[in-house]
Amino acid sequence: MKKKIIGLVDGQSGNIGSIKKAITDIIKDKPYQLKIIKSQFDPYQFSKIILPGQGAYATLIANLKKLKIYNSLKLYLGNNFPYLGICVGMQILSDVGYEDKTTKGLGVIHGEIKKFEKKNLIIPHMGWNSLKVKKDDKILTTTFNEKDFYFVHSYIYEKVKASAVLATTKYGKNFPSVVNKGNIYGVQFHPEKSHKNGLKFIKNFILN
Amino acid sequence: MLKTRIIPCLDVVKNKVVKGVNFKNIKVMGNAVEMAKFYSGAGADELCMLDINASYQNRKTFIKTVESIAKVINIPLTVGGGVSDLSDITNLLNAGADKVSINSAAVKNPNLVKKASLVHGSQCIVVAIDAKRFQGNFRVVIKGGRELTPKKLVDWALYVQKIGAGEILLTSMDTDGVQKGFDAEMLRSITSKLTIPVIASGGVGKLEHFYKGHQTRATGLLAASVFHSGKYTIKKVKRFLDKKGVPVRL
Repeated sequence: MKKKIIGLVDGQSGNIGSIKKAITDIIKDKPYQLKIIKSQFDPYQFSKIILPGQGAYATLIANLKKLKIYNSLKLYLGNNFPYLGICVGMQILSDVGYEDKTTKGLGVIHGEIKKFEKKNLIIPHMGWNSLKVKKDDKILTTTFNEKDFYFVHSYIYEKVKASAVLATTKYGKNFPSVVNKGNIYGVQFHPEKSHKNGLKFIKNFILN
Repeated sequence: MLKTRIIPCLDVVKNKVVKGVNFKNIKVMGNAVEMAKFYSGAGADELCMLDINASYQNRKTFIKTVESIAKVINIPLTVGGGVSDLSDITNLLNAGADKVSINSAAVKNPNLVKKASLVHGSQCIVVAIDAKRFQGNFRVVIKGGRELTPKKLVDWALYVQKIGAGEILLTSMDTDGVQKGFDAEMLRSITSKLTIPVIASGGVGKLEHFYKGHQTRATGLLAASVFHSGKYTIKKVKRFLDKKGVPVRL
């Protein structure tokens, strides 16, 4: 039986060790194989792609372009192929980001990435916080409602259509913590750092 | 709602967790990898590990220990101790640390904090500050408390926040190891001014101390001996805080 290929994008935006390990554990003894994407790729080759990101929006977009991943990824996402963006990997799905400088995003899930704006709010939003799941989804099932995940970020997804928001999290205000359109998912938290619930979420994405 | 983080701290020499920072009577508490794995499973929100004897020889083993720990836990890992330049930070991040804490080196060379946060992002740069009371002020001390600097704690904390620290780990030398509670006064002196998260460290001996630590607006509470000795489990601390109305991850 031919193995399905899971792609993990190394956009040189933080360490991919933990997520790599999580995926490896999940697909062990299953008909999947993991490939690290470091340059342009054939979008039809992968059954799932995961893109973790830390640091700045502008830096990740610039890295993806420099590594020639950007155009392949655009094509992949244009086909509505399964994608999971983590943290900044989620944020780049938006139209534009305002971290450091104004940067055009992938424009897949409409919205803008803006800094948390509230007086006396400790920034970054760092630590464990819970999800309010808006609707039952095959990957973000309602079992994740009120479960805690690990967050580290200073910017949030704004101006997203309500239909694209699968879950929100409260920090200063309610912000979108899981966004979705078709087979494309973005999570603001780090599932690879979120212990059992995080692993369960990654598993749902890979196996569903 | 954001939960208050309970963070066990492992003081490590090579691959062993030790107690007793005066190098004469170091007591081995256990194997670092096994203890890290245990705490991750027991409900720790984050782990902190410090290389307390970062000599050239020990360093290699320590880095290997970081690698092994990163492989067996799935919660965030902060690593510090002996971080003196950018390559130390890169090496630790590559070994699997999520955050690196810089202490004495930040005082000697603040530019390191700036450079590190530009290269790796503020979110993974923790500035660890040790401080103590001196002539009516809180003053920054370095080299594990052995050297008093002219820097005032609040000024220094605000400065490192400005140049790119993503978080501050504050240890009070006046309360560390005494088990009489976190230094609330010292903590408040910075939490009232900073906009980045502060982790409280030094002094926990009783459950009540965790609650008092939370009241200082510190978002992370770090402790070592009460956990290593088995006096309290992480679950017990969290249940206690939960009953007091403090948001925790249960």
